[in-house]
Amino acid sequence: MKVMPLIGYALRGLARRKAKATVLILGLASGVALLAAVLFMTDALRAQADRLRMAMPDIVVQKLVAGRPSTLPRAFTSKITPIPAVRAVRPRVWGYLFLPALQGNVTVVGVPNGVRPLQQVQGTLGQGRDLVPGAHEMVAGATLAQALGLLEGDTLGLPSLGGTAVPLTFVGAFSSSVDLYTADVVLCDEADARVLLGMGPDEATDFAVDLTNPAESSVIAQTIAEGTPGLRVLEREPLARIHSLTYGRRSGLFFVGAIPAILALLLLMSDRASGLSREERREVSVLKAIGWSTEEVLYTKVFEAALTGSIATALGLFIAYGWVFWLGAIGLRATLAGWSSVYPDLALVPAVDPAQLLAIAGAVLLPYVGLCVVPSWRAAAADPVAVMRGE
Amino acid sequence: MQPRATGARAFQPRPVTIVLAVLALPLVVAGLSVDAHLRRARAERGQPVTDAVAVRLPSPDMALFGGARWLRAPTLEEPGAAFADGPGAVDPDPAGGLVAPPKAIWAHVKGAR
Repeated sequence: MKVMPLIGYALRGLARRKAKATVLILGLASGVALLAAVLFMTDALRAQADRLRMAMPDIVVQKLVAGRPSTLPRAFTSKITPIPAVRAVRPRVWGYLFLPALQGNVTVVGVPNGVRPLQQVQGTLGQGRDLVPGAHEMVAGATLAQALGLLEGDTLGLPSLGGTAVPLTFVGAFSSSVDLYTADVVLCDEADARVLLGMGPDEATDFAVDLTNPAESSVIAQTIAEGTPGLRVLEREPLARIHSLTYGRRSGLFFVGAIPAILALLLLMSDRASGLSREERREVSVLKAIGWSTEEVLYTKVFEAALTGSIATALGLFIAYGWVFWLGAIGLRATLAGWSSVYPDLALVPAVDPAQLLAIAGAVLLPYVGLCVVPSWRAAAADPVAVMRGE
Repeated sequence: MQPRATGARAFQPRPVTIVLAVLALPLVVAGLSVDAHLRRARAERGQPVTDAVAVRLPSPDMALFGGARWLRAPTLEEPGAAFADGPGAVDPDPAGGLVAPPKAIWAHVKGAR
């Protein structure tokens, strides 16, 4: 049996039923595009969060008061430092500040003395320089700086408890390549951060604990939690679970919202399953009457379905990819990636690989082609004279 | 033997059209994979910049949902934070999405306990 002429005939069949084939391909393609776009975006968000996770401390220690996170006394570090395998305990000062001008929160992060200046790694700052400790300066995310209309050298009076904070001089902005993480961040001296956040000199928001052997983090976490009641200990490794849950929940909700589209997809498939049209059955009968074998007719119909399905899947995957990674997921972004008054430029890096693309294609194509085999075989096996008479 | 076309001139696909129709899906899969690979490679080249900034940030969360503190940093804040009530505790809300988290994460937690 020659395959190419049969595929050619299948293409001619699709061309003869141009309107039906076009609607079928567009319907199937839009269903595939919607589902694939959600998967592409969820995976990209998860991978994006993972990219930063490995640079995080092995363990973060928080204090709970009345079941809610509270500030920690710096003296608590003495309870953690002696634990074997603990390399360093760094009290951190950070928190959220509501800016009425933006009607949104910014994340204020205090920079302790002695940390490596940002400009040592080329590309961290989009403009300006890193802050000088004690000079009441700030570095902000590119989006925040733009939203506030800040230019290098401008001073900004941020709201603080009792209005005691000294206005900060804007000296630099993060590069847009890290805007996804820093869009709403204000970096300032630790002392300035304490005043802005209303924290005392001996308080810390949490402790970052670095270990000599990160593989022991579970044991160390357990030791810290048991040694000092009222602490909440967060390990780095399971943080991936949180991102999976966050984006998984959102994509799940989106899928629920997209049920009508999925139903439409099933409807298209059931159209194939319910059998061939009268016109198609007649065509099959003519083919049989002029000498085509059942096998040839069956292969032609399978090729027709496979061509329709694969063109639609290819189109759907292409649209989904372009939608998410070239056009910034317009319309999908707010649903899956959230929204806020200070929103970063969402340039996601694809986590797509051939296996995932082929899995999506297989999940659509195999049932679609499989569903057309039985009615095609039934039509091919029927008596052509009876079909042509309309019996 | 093939049926004779009737009516308007029948569409006669050229070999190149047939090949393109058959290869549409593999070509798209290959093309998108290459584009994704190139974009990932570019992002990896910028990883030192991300790492340098990361040490200054309190959490690995993206600045996507700044409207509420637990949305800004779900890894550190309730109700999303890992081990909200104790190290090694199983999350009380393990479901939540049709796209499930990787099973390996649970294996890790189970091993830790």
